[in-house]
Amino acid sequence: MGAVELLQFALAGLKNGAIYALVALGFTLVYAATGAINFAQGEFYMLGGMLSVWAYAGLGLPLPLAGLVGVAMTALVGGVFELLAVRPRKDGDLLAIIIITVGGSMVLSSAARHLFGPLEKALPAFTSTGTVSIFGAVLEIQSLWILGLTTLAVVALWYLYNRTSLGRAMRACAVNRDAARLVGIDPRRIVTVSFMLAAALGALAGLAVTPLTQTAFDVGPSVGIKGFAAAILGGLGNPIAAVAGGIVLGMLESMSIAFISSTYKDAIALVVLLGVLFWRPQGIFGASRREKV
Amino acid sequence: MVKRPDIRLIAIVAIALVAVFALPMLTSERYLLRVFTFVGVNVIIITGMALLFGYAGQVSLGHAAFYGIGAYASAFAVLTLGWPWVAGVALALVLTAVGGLLLALPSLRLKGHYLAMATLGFGEIMKVVFVEARPVTGGPDGLSGIPYPTLGPLEFDTAGTAYWLVWGVAAVALLLAYNVVRSRAGRAMRALHGSELGATACGIDITGVKVRVFVISAALAGLAGALYAHVVGFVSPSTFSLHVSVLLVAMAVLGGTGSLAGPVIATVILTLIPYSDAVIPGLSRTALETIQEWQEDIYGLTIIAVMLFVPGGIGSLIRRIFPERGDAG
Amino acid sequence: MDDVSFDVHDGQIKAVIGPNGAGKSTLFNVMTAFDRPDAGSVLFDGDEVTGKRPHLIVRSGIARTFQNTQLFEDMTARENVMAGAHAVTKAGFFASALRLPWTVQEERDVAEEAARLLRLVGLGEWTNTPAADMPHGLRRLLEIARALAARPRVLLLDEPAAGLNMAETVALAEALYRIRDEGTTIVVVEHDMGLVMEVSDEIVVLDRGRKIAEGPPRLIQKDPVVIAAYLGEEEADEL
Repeated sequence: MGAVELLQFALAGLKNGAIYALVALGFTLVYAATGAINFAQGEFYMLGGMLSVWAYAGLGLPLPLAGLVGVAMTALVGGVFELLAVRPRKDGDLLAIIIITVGGSMVLSSAARHLFGPLEKALPAFTSTGTVSIFGAVLEIQSLWILGLTTLAVVALWYLYNRTSLGRAMRACAVNRDAARLVGIDPRRIVTVSFMLAAALGALAGLAVTPLTQTAFDVGPSVGIKGFAAAILGGLGNPIAAVAGGIVLGMLESMSIAFISSTYKDAIALVVLLGVLFWRPQGIFGASRREKV
Repeated sequence: MVKRPDIRLIAIVAIALVAVFALPMLTSERYLLRVFTFVGVNVIIITGMALLFGYAGQVSLGHAAFYGIGAYASAFAVLTLGWPWVAGVALALVLTAVGGLLLALPSLRLKGHYLAMATLGFGEIMKVVFVEARPVTGGPDGLSGIPYPTLGPLEFDTAGTAYWLVWGVAAVALLLAYNVVRSRAGRAMRALHGSELGATACGIDITGVKVRVFVISAALAGLAGALYAHVVGFVSPSTFSLHVSVLLVAMAVLGGTGSLAGPVIATVILTLIPYSDAVIPGLSRTALETIQEWQEDIYGLTIIAVMLFVPGGIGSLIRRIFPERGDAG
Repeated sequence: MDDVSFDVHDGQIKAVIGPNGAGKSTLFNVMTAFDRPDAGSVLFDGDEVTGKRPHLIVRSGIARTFQNTQLFEDMTARENVMAGAHAVTKAGFFASALRLPWTVQEERDVAEEAARLLRLVGLGEWTNTPAADMPHGLRRLLEIARALAARPRVLLLDEPAAGLNMAETVALAEALYRIRDEGTTIVVVEHDMGLVMEVSDEIVVLDRGRKIAEGPPRLIQKDPVVIAAYLGEEEADEL
């Protein structure tokens, strides 16, 4: 395989990795706030694309506004889902929350089918359907948008976490809910906000990808698995590592297509997930931790 | 044991058994028998899910995949390799048990609910395999012309006999599971669900127990698949989709914790929903279509509602009616 | 925790006391392999405990209770105690599923032993009550009965009197005597000095991870080093 072809695969891996990174960030946020895995995360990705298509084609909004509406509405759905289905389970039992998100995932994808039908939907490219050439490899302009939006989201999240009082409250809750409550932070509010942010990040990924790959009501679960594998790879709970995990997973998938076959590329995420759980449960970037009795 | 058996309970179980096994003699309607055969197949899967979820507190989102592996394995063994059905069943059991072990070992070693995500991933991969591995699975069209189950000279080639075979296997599976849940192994499952620290202090190898339960539940799903393929005569990838896995979770969740009867009741109810016309005479075509259109919403909302309002599911309601029984049923 | 070592003699009640942060709970967690020591090792009867998987510890004859009781809430008192016999029984999934005759016999024996242990700790009336429905004081006794079901040679009790009222503490003390009289050695970490002085045959005093005194209650009470350690704590509390 020539260098150009390899670069071509690497660029594709980077693009997919950016998508996984956004989804992984969503898992990380909800995990930090609740300690639970949110199985509806993939559905937020699905909704981001579907709602944007609806705002664009259905409402006739200009594309940038339609995208904004799609992401904002998904964030709203995330918040409402948390308020209606997660918060009422007051004991915060992890198994219960996980099962609730499984049920929620089913309801959200089914609702999308009722509202928008079973067919695949597409959006036009944000600016141009053209490509750019990088050392001979071809990259769609839309992929640049994906990389740019991901970078922007990561920077914004970093700013939120480190420079705002909301971010400090979120970090405090992740470390110790009871202590956070003592200093006047309402952990329930943080959980709601985390669900909304996670939904927005997933939606952004779904929105950015739709011009390239189309979307449908049933795309959520497989993207969810990949985002989770990326989050685990980085070390669940660490946002920066989740982004790195996403990129690594995207690259691994791309290389498996390059060197093995594309039929079972989806298996890479599962292999990564099981491998990390088996050999390095704290993730490749996480420090080893011991559990206290 | 010191506990005296509850006479009401024995009566209920006896009546249920008689009713279940008498059905083919009461009706000759093939559709009704066929639908209740599906219920029996799901009861076999749910027996394992009840142990896994209701006793050991673990969630699997991949049991449809084990169900599918069992179905394809036995269909392939009989159709292509010319094996007898029993050998096909054995192959299904071995493959699903080994698959279950390989998934469970990494995912269950850690605290946290990684098994759910690993099984979800496994299910999605198997969905691809069922479509792509054409020489074995027949691709998107699936396999057809799968012969009826045979046991030596016995051939289960009518709707009634197939029904008896499936429910016979289901009854045996339930009996064995009932023996397990009121034994040392059953206490170990409930103990680790109650407190992992406490269970460890009692000498219970919590990872070991969880892995065993998962392997058993995977093998039961495989067994159900090996029955389904031959009773129906046809398998295709859509039968083993994620939706089926979530439906199974809905059955286990609605059925509740610490109970076998609860999940069986939940399975009967939820399996019948898309076949409502079999049990509600005169149900209009459009009403049935509406129900089918909304069945996934029903499953999803059932899961959420149970976790919010009746966390113990039907099992906990049964315990309220028969409070003197602390354990299973 | 720094180089603590002490002997426990068969059939004794030994108390481990010390001011807050002295390392008492850590000591227990290290002894039962729930925590790993940074260096060094724990020997029990000449056998290495360190590095074993925690569920295997009970098989070598050490059973424990927890500061925050770790009962199986949905299970009855008897089922809790029967689960405690896990390490000394055998029936696995397959033998149980088939109800092999020996498993039926084993089950009967375990149920009888559980009933006996519940009577021993004074919970004979609560056999069929779910643990979740039992009063706080009795839950500690139930956890002790569950630990005894593993037929340990040494029983480690982590603050068994915490949160108990006077009557419950007296019932606890009586249960401890009965357990000791059956030949089980007891090591107890405890804050309640009244209970410690009354029941223990010997006391070990820890302070900031070190052993500062060891001896019978009468001598410990007068030991100036011990008094200084506790006074230091009281002064710190006042500050």
